[in-house]
Amino acid sequence: MSYTFFDRESTIAGPGFNRFMVPPAALAVHLCIGQAYAFSTFNLPLTKLIGLSQSAPGDWNLKELGWIFSIAIVFLGSSAAVFGRWVERVGPRKSMFVAALCFGGGFLVSAVGIRLHQLWIIYLGYGVLGGCGLGIGYISPVSTLIKWFPDRPGMATGMAIMGFGGGALIAAPLSVLLMANFKTATSNGVLETFVTMGVIYFMFMMIGVLSVRVPADDWKPSGWTAPAKPKQLVTTANVAVDQAWRTPQFWLLWVVLCMNVTAGIGVLGQASPMIQEMFPGKVTAPAAAGFVGLISLFNMIGRFFWASTSDYIGRRNTYMVFFLLGIVLYAAVPTTGHIGSTALFVAAFCVILSMYGGGFATIPAYLRDMFGTYQVGAIHGRLLTAWSVAGVLGPVLVNYIRQYQIDNGVPKAQAYSITMYIMCGLLLIGFLCNFAMRAVKANYYYHAPAAPQRAPA
Amino acid sequence: MKLRLAVLWIAVGIPLAWGVFKTLQNAMKLFQ
Repeated sequence: MSYTFFDRESTIAGPGFNRFMVPPAALAVHLCIGQAYAFSTFNLPLTKLIGLSQSAPGDWNLKELGWIFSIAIVFLGSSAAVFGRWVERVGPRKSMFVAALCFGGGFLVSAVGIRLHQLWIIYLGYGVLGGCGLGIGYISPVSTLIKWFPDRPGMATGMAIMGFGGGALIAAPLSVLLMANFKTATSNGVLETFVTMGVIYFMFMMIGVLSVRVPADDWKPSGWTAPAKPKQLVTTANVAVDQAWRTPQFWLLWVVLCMNVTAGIGVLGQASPMIQEMFPGKVTAPAAAGFVGLISLFNMIGRFFWASTSDYIGRRNTYMVFFLLGIVLYAAVPTTGHIGSTALFVAAFCVILSMYGGGFATIPAYLRDMFGTYQVGAIHGRLLTAWSVAGVLGPVLVNYIRQYQIDNGVPKAQAYSITMYIMCGLLLIGFLCNFAMRAVKANYYYHAPAAPQRAPA
Repeated sequence: MKLRLAVLWIAVGIPLAWGVFKTLQNAMKLFQ
C-alpha cells in the first residue's frame, strides 16, 4: 500500500531520529496561531478604514469588531472538539497542513472583507475559518509530543503551548510594524498587513508540517523504561475519547480548566484599564501597555515552567498550587490598591498570569495521566470547549461587575475588589474539583480488538 | 541531523526572541 506525503504512515520516524526535532515543529505552528491573542492590535485601525485618521460614518465600531475574536475563540474550542478524533487518525502532518490552510486562508479571506468593507466576510474569514485553524493547529502536535516524551510529557507539551503565548508577543509588534510600513495616503495598511501575515503564517506553519514526525509504535527513549509501579493518578491503561467524556474525571478536569482560565482571561482583557483605574495618576497609558506586555510574558513563561514542574510534583499538585496561590493573590490585590503599591500589584498579576498559562500547558499531560495516550489529542480537543466558555465568562464577569459597581457609586479605584473576590470563589470551585480527582474506573478502559485467530489447517 | 536540529531551533527561536525583546522594551515603560 502506498501512502501520500501527508499520511501518518509517511511521518513515522526512522531509527536515530532526534526527538528534539519535534518541539520546534510544534512551536512553528503554535507561534503562528498564538497571534489570536494579539488580534486587538487591528481593532482601532479597522475602525478607520474609511476615515483613515479618524472614524467616519460607515466605519465599523469596536463593539462590532469585538465579535471577530469571540467567534474565533468559539470556533477554536468547537473545531478542536469536533476534529479531535480526525486529528488523531490522520496524524500531525495532515492536520498541521489543514490548520495552516485555514489560519493563513482566514487572513486572506478577511483581506477580501476589508477590501469590500463587508464585516461578515471577516467574521467568516478570521472568525470561522481562522478559528478552525486555531483549534486544529492547537491540538495537532499535542499527542505526538506526549508519545515522543513519555518521560517528560509536561515539559514537551509545555514547550509547544508556550509557543501559543509567545505568538502574541511576536504578532503585536509585527502587526504594528507592517501597518506602519504599508500605510499610504489612501490606506492605513491593514489590508496589506492581513495579506502579508496570511502568507507569512502559512509558510512558517509549513516548517512544522515538513519537520514533524511520529514515533514508531514500539519506540521508547533510549535507556528509559516505564516505571514498574506507576505513580498515583497516572494510568498505564487507555480510555477512548467517546468513553472519556462519560467519566466524572473528564468533567472535573473541564471545570478545573474552565475556572483557571476564567480567572485569568478576564484580567488579561482588562489589565490596562484596571491598573490605570486602581492607581489613578500613578500609572499612565504607556505604562499600562507595558504592564500588559509584562503579564503576557509571564503567561508565556508560566506555560513552560509550570508544565515542566508538573513532571516532578504531579499534575494534581500543580493545580493545587494554582488554585491555592491564586486565591491568596487575588484576595491580596485589593489591598495592594489600598496601600498604593504598584510593585506588589504587578508582582501578584505576573504570578497569576503565569499560572493561567501554566493551566493551559499542564492540562494535556494531566489528560494523559488520567486517560492514557491512545486518544489524548481528541480528549484534549473536547476539553478545550472549557476555554470557549471561559473566554465569554471571564471578560463578562470582570466588565459587568465593574460597571455595576461604578453605576452604584463605587469609586473606580475600588470597583475591582468584588471581582477579585469572585475570582477567589471560582478558584475555590476549581480547587474542590481538582481535590475530588480519582483514577478512572477500569470499566472505561479501551481494549484493542484481538487479532483474528486463524482456523487450524 | 544535528545541523537540521540547530536550523529548526534557530528558525523558531529568532522570532520568539524578537517578540520577547520587543515586549521587554515595552514593559520597561512601566518602571520609568
